[in-house]
Amino acid sequence: MAFSVTSETVNGIAKFTLVGELDAAAAGEFKAAIEQAAASQPKRVVLIMNALTYMASAGLRTLVFAKQKMGANVDIYVIGVQEAVRETIEMTGFHHSVIMLDTYDAAEIESV
Amino acid sequence: MKPITIPGTLASLSLLRDYARAAAAEAGLDKKRTYRLELAVDEIATNIVNHGYQEAGLTGDVVARATITAQALEIVLEDTAVPFDPRHLMRPEQIDLPLAERPIGGLGVFLAIENVDEFRYEYVDGHNRNIFVVNRTAA
Repeated sequence: MAFSVTSETVNGIAKFTLVGELDAAAAGEFKAAIEQAAASQPKRVVLIMNALTYMASAGLRTLVFAKQKMGANVDIYVIGVQEAVRETIEMTGFHHSVIMLDTYDAAEIESV
Repeated sequence: MKPITIPGTLASLSLLRDYARAAAAEAGLDKKRTYRLELAVDEIATNIVNHGYQEAGLTGDVVARATITAQALEIVLEDTAVPFDPRHLMRPEQIDLPLAERPIGGLGVFLAIENVDEFRYEYVDGHNRNIFVVNRTAA
């Protein structure tokens, strides 16, 4: 399935919804969305991944890019990740650098 | 299974994943092992396209060939890019570094090797051959 990303930044929270298969061909689109959101200097980054069915290392590298672009003190929340994608995130140790939540927790995420 | 030949471009990666998925179905692999195989094939093919072809200023194809035996499913990716053994890029020690400090590279190869039961590389008659083996019975 083709990849798509939609994003909005509200009250300093940059929220991205990722859908489909995030491979090396699609990573540029995700990176561009990150770059665009970084311009408004968000305090938090939220990635909604419930409908993301596949993620290759190119997607993980975009998370590194996001962290470096937004700043090390900007937390990245990964929400609703599917089991197979979770396995990749954990296998590569990325779960130590992002906050993984099953569902969007407004109380935690929006209390900046 | 009948081999497929695809152009060595990022846009073709999804075709290789489709091929790996079809081969996995024929070999009776479960959902988890199927996903892992798709990921492994995709990661190595991404390296072939980016490093083997594009960065070297070359163009070429990638051929995928699946063979199913009683014990295992084997997929061979073959390309005519510069000789390159992906195992040289594997640096597992990086996975302990925080996100902001990570160097780029090696991650895809790490995932490829970790997600199949056996990974081999050969250079034969001007062709790189990356070989993935997944056991059909759970190890």
